[in-house]
Amino acid sequence: MTAATDIPTTRSGRFNSRNVSKIAIRLGAFVAFAGIFLYFALTARGFLSPYNLTNVIEQSTILGLLAFGITVVFIGTGTDVQKGGIDLSVAANAGLCAAVYDVLLRDGYGNGVAIPAALGTGMFIGFLNGLAVVTLRIIPLLGTLAVMNIAAGLELTLTENTVVPVQSPLMNTLAFGRFLGISVLAWCFLVTTLILVWVVQFSQIGLRLYAVGGHHEAAKAAGINTGRYIYGAYLFAGLMAGATSILIVSRLSSSTPGTGLILLPILAAALLGTVFSRRFIPTIGGTFLAALFIGILANGFQLLGISSYWVAGVQGALILLVVAVTSFAKKN
Amino acid sequence: MTMQANAGTRRRVAFDLEAISNYAVIAAFVVVVTFFSVFADGFLTGENLLNLISNKVVLLAIVALGMTIVIGAGGIDLSVGVSMDLSSMIFIMLIAAGYAGIIGIAGGLAAAFAVGLMNAILINKLKINPFLATLGVLFIGQSIQRLSTQGGVPIYLTRAEFAAPFNAIARTSLFGVPTPIIVLLICIVAVYLALHRSVFGRYVSALGAQADVARYSGIPVPFHLAMVFISCAVLSGISGILLSSTVRSYVPFSGDAFLLDAIGATFIGTAISAERRPSVVGTLLGVMLLAVMRNGLLLIGWNFFWQQVGIGVLVFLVLGLSFGLRKRAE
Repeated sequence: MTAATDIPTTRSGRFNSRNVSKIAIRLGAFVAFAGIFLYFALTARGFLSPYNLTNVIEQSTILGLLAFGITVVFIGTGTDVQKGGIDLSVAANAGLCAAVYDVLLRDGYGNGVAIPAALGTGMFIGFLNGLAVVTLRIIPLLGTLAVMNIAAGLELTLTENTVVPVQSPLMNTLAFGRFLGISVLAWCFLVTTLILVWVVQFSQIGLRLYAVGGHHEAAKAAGINTGRYIYGAYLFAGLMAGATSILIVSRLSSSTPGTGLILLPILAAALLGTVFSRRFIPTIGGTFLAALFIGILANGFQLLGISSYWVAGVQGALILLVVAVTSFAKKN
Repeated sequence: MTMQANAGTRRRVAFDLEAISNYAVIAAFVVVVTFFSVFADGFLTGENLLNLISNKVVLLAIVALGMTIVIGAGGIDLSVGVSMDLSSMIFIMLIAAGYAGIIGIAGGLAAAFAVGLMNAILINKLKINPFLATLGVLFIGQSIQRLSTQGGVPIYLTRAEFAAPFNAIARTSLFGVPTPIIVLLICIVAVYLALHRSVFGRYVSALGAQADVARYSGIPVPFHLAMVFISCAVLSGISGILLSSTVRSYVPFSGDAFLLDAIGATFIGTAISAERRPSVVGTLLGVMLLAVMRNGLLLIGWNFFWQQVGIGVLVFLVLGLSFGLRKRAE
């Protein structure tokens, strides 16, 4: 009798402490996010103004959309960067697509030609990644590195490493248009996020993609065509690169060399996104928050007038801090 | 009978394919060298080859050796550029302040050591995965360089009064072999012994192949990981000092260019081993392949932009052949 009554109490006690630590783990990264947000809200003038907050979303759009591409690749192949999948080509791909879109517009073709061409280029580069990783079974880190070289080289040959300015009404709408008080660029980010959250987190395709990345052999045994899903993930990353390239060109009114340099921030956003999820796996929502987090840091520093020299370092340190806190919480 | 014979031939074909797959990179290297010897004027001259090795190969090879150790241990180091740059920066600043060359070298290597130590602490103590840890260090390193150089202004020490230490490193030779090449040879032997002929190397391989098993068998994992990341950083630091001595200047962020090539060379090198593991010989082959392609394409008149495309396509084809044949063999 005593034993019987004892067991439930201890069990429920353990449950409670486990629940508390679970909640702490789950909230750790969110608390850090909220703390930094609050800090900027209190110290940086104008941070909380609606104009500035849309500005933050705008600044995070390009980073976030490209990070979604890598997130989907991570979901389908696992986050172990050495043995799992990765897509190093996504930033260079966006640069190439921007160059294609830009050069076609410059040469007098309309958006009706240039947009499909940019999206097609992105997906072709995505296809090359799939070919390397799935069909030829090259280590993803290396296969996508070779593809990155190809994309970056092609971008340079197209633009000859110069800024190619262009103008079009669509680009003006994308860059400066507003709808319900929020800029079109921010809408692109928010709507894409919602659609992807639905597809990746709540649809059958998303569930299977997680299965493929979580346990390749089990997914195969369950009858999922794993190769097709991984191909799909790389094609999707390519499509995101193509779509984002149009926003990049719109925002800068030109195709500018150096888009490839945002590769590491994109990877940081996609990997940081895992700490904003319950089980520390890549999710669309997590990547969305991570991109905003990085955007808020940059914006807050700007408003506080901190020299831009500090930005990369403090961002790096904060990312390390958040990841370290989470990994400790996870261990306990 | 027929079935048995069939099985026999099939197995033999499979075996051949697997063997061929291991030689794909070596074959590609031979083909590329032969191609450029025939078609690129001036490729096969002593001057070009010496220039190729002492300028293009040495710097990348030393960084790639460090990367080989890290990748061999199952990690990755995105901060090799920072190790190179900070070492180069401290070295140049000490020389500019009038210190002797040896003090400059010690200071530069100490900076690289600090980067490696930082990586080790983040990975061991804070349990951050190597990719994110070294990425964070990369960002921090960029800020340190911006802050110490007013946003990235290079430091040139081309005046004659500073020439002595640089000449001592970059322009001397021993038995006719330029000093940078001797430094490379020493690094190759040291890393080869450490990785392929010592207990340390076996533990590192164990970590890379089966990290959990290595942990359960009682290998002191934190110590080995720390050694791995510190040696990678110090090797990159050596490369940074050689770079600064050759160009007599410190250009911020110039080490970043070596990161992806070092990773690429190391992974190309894995294609020559049956287990697809990184090795010193493989990495050197990868470095040579990249350097020869870049030099050869330049000599046949391709500009930098097309060189990049060409190298991407060649690496893609070679690896596709190597990994694709292996898949067929399985």
